[in-house]
Amino acid sequence: MKKFFVALSLLLVILSFAAKVELVFWTHEDPNRTPLEEGYIKEFQKMYPNVEIKRVTYPSDKIKEVLLTAFAARKGPDIFNIEIQDEYPYIVNERVAPVNLNALGLKSYNDLKNQYLEGSLDAVTYKGKIYGLPLELTNWCIFINKKYFRDVGLDPEKDYPKTWEDMVRISEKLVIRDGQIIKRRGFDFRYPYYLTFFVPMVEQLGGALFSADGKTAIINDNAWIRVLDFMKQWGPNGKNLGSPTYTAARKEFNKDNNTVVMCESGLYQIDRIRTENPAFYNSNEWMVVPWPVFKNAVRDVKSNYYGHYYMVNAESSKEEQEWAWRFINFMLSHPQDYLVKVGLIQPRKDLIESDVFKNYPYSDVFLEDMEKAHIVPLHPQGPQIEQLIREAVESVMLTNTSSRDALNTLKRKVNDLLKEEQ
Amino acid sequence: MERKKAIWGFVFTIPAIVFFLIFDFYPVANAFWMSFFKKDLLSLNPPKFIGFKNYTYLFTSEAFWNSVKATAIFTFGTFVPMVLVSLALAALIITRKRFQKFLQMAYYSPAVLSSVVAAMIWLLMFDPRGLANQFLNYFFNTYGVDYHWLSNENMLRLATIIVYFWKYVGYFTVIFISGMASIPRSIHEAAIVDGASGWQDFRHITLPLLKPTTLLVSVMSMIQCLKTFSTQYLFVQGGAPRGPIDVITLNIYNTAIRDHQIGRASAMSVILFFVIMFFTYLQFRVSRSEEVSY
Repeated sequence: MKKFFVALSLLLVILSFAAKVELVFWTHEDPNRTPLEEGYIKEFQKMYPNVEIKRVTYPSDKIKEVLLTAFAARKGPDIFNIEIQDEYPYIVNERVAPVNLNALGLKSYNDLKNQYLEGSLDAVTYKGKIYGLPLELTNWCIFINKKYFRDVGLDPEKDYPKTWEDMVRISEKLVIRDGQIIKRRGFDFRYPYYLTFFVPMVEQLGGALFSADGKTAIINDNAWIRVLDFMKQWGPNGKNLGSPTYTAARKEFNKDNNTVVMCESGLYQIDRIRTENPAFYNSNEWMVVPWPVFKNAVRDVKSNYYGHYYMVNAESSKEEQEWAWRFINFMLSHPQDYLVKVGLIQPRKDLIESDVFKNYPYSDVFLEDMEKAHIVPLHPQGPQIEQLIREAVESVMLTNTSSRDALNTLKRKVNDLLKEEQ
Repeated sequence: MERKKAIWGFVFTIPAIVFFLIFDFYPVANAFWMSFFKKDLLSLNPPKFIGFKNYTYLFTSEAFWNSVKATAIFTFGTFVPMVLVSLALAALIITRKRFQKFLQMAYYSPAVLSSVVAAMIWLLMFDPRGLANQFLNYFFNTYGVDYHWLSNENMLRLATIIVYFWKYVGYFTVIFISGMASIPRSIHEAAIVDGASGWQDFRHITLPLLKPTTLLVSVMSMIQCLKTFSTQYLFVQGGAPRGPIDVITLNIYNTAIRDHQIGRASAMSVILFFVIMFFTYLQFRVSRSEEVSY
């Protein structure tokens, strides 16, 4: 009898191990998010002891290539997230699985869509199916260090830049140079994310990246040239207010070390300031204002927003896919934690309507801008197009190339790329 | 008996051969094969055979020829001064009676550093507010001039050359030192007894007998320069424009990883492979005719 029980318990142990589902979860490094999600993993594993989740982080500029090579070798993780413009080819190439509604306890995609702000799942909707759930949607507003505004006789509450023309004028007042070398920038753009900030500037003036049918690129030359001229004026060969070769403005901003007065960034920047420089965070010397528009803008468009969506590998087993979606759903059922502890906005209606969101510093500024924005252009060749825009902008900023010549080159190359794709 | 030894000799080399076949030969052969196909890295569709289209595309591509130009400028701009300076440094160090080992170590130390770390350090120096501008302003007695290390086409090329030069000059110096040390002392002594000056000894004894080492260093450094990647990659990540430093390896990386075009990237790798092979062949050919005996 004793032997029988020993054999039975041994069998049970073996079976429990055999039935264990192991999920591999790759995500980008975010020191504020790691403890939060590690906690969720522990909770989830406690609820479901048959599931083991291995969370692996990579630097945000590395994860794209690691993930791509893993998927190319058909060894991708079960769960991952990268920026939506880089995730889009995974959807188009059917490398990710559609959301499993059963795992989420929902009956239809409409039930799922009803949980989120209108349009926030459009980016991951392909041929009628939804392929991801948003970890965050991020748009950029302008962060201002009030102290340096006052130093030059400006009132940050009233004199903050409302238009791009204001941005130039104010930056000229704020900039400190040692000869040609900028010691303090008034503001600087967030190079090289040209799809996020440059394209909406073009759209403000009536231009567009793609035609309505998506077959032609670079619409309305005049708008493109005006923005290229603006960037030329901004760069070292113009008014010398900033350049892609200086350290990223958003990183300098947190240090409060008199090297940059304004930067463009997402709501998460607030949490980064708190972590990196608590004294500055608590000083009440920073504020956030809406993203500017051109004085003669024909469209009131704000910085494009981008998102990180959690996705599931289509080559994982059905059982792994189901558990992966359950786990993703479990993590995303804590949107307030993500906001308060990490500064990430999950576009869920319950979060946006909550007091926690309403009371979060500057959430209203970001939300109002987001309502006037749209997601970054999604295209299988998106990263190549962004690189070509980068080449055009930097050629006018850093060399003597005229805006017309840069635009002609850009137009030819992007349209060649689209033809090749067709 | 000899035959038995030979068989055992072969048996012992099998692990190395297997290792070579799996990790060297297979990737090279696969790249050759893939270069005739159109294949998106993410697509599950089978690769489409397109013959030589990847090659014809590359030979008519503006971006590819720009990469050839960037690679050629970088290679010749780096390896010529590298060979000359490392030779001069080796001659200088080997004639020192004291601190010889220390100097060798000091010059060699950057080669131990990872390329990524080296590029990061230099990126900080080339920042408009960094040491490079301060040094040139001091040197030329100018005030606040931005020499546009990371934005001006030529300065950017020079910046990548400086990083590479700094990193590898010590490595080749050490190779030259070992070459010089292998020249029998008696030959130098005979020349001195015959009344040769230090310069004459270097010019007529050391240099001719050092030819195989010089050749080895020049070919090695040239091949190394042709394969340069991390410096250019990190400079572009750090905000520098890609065009002037878009060397072939960087183009291969972007074509494969950013554009997902693994067939086209393979074709570029094959072209680079043949270029490197040509220089290696040249090394074998010339070194055979330049063998020296004492």
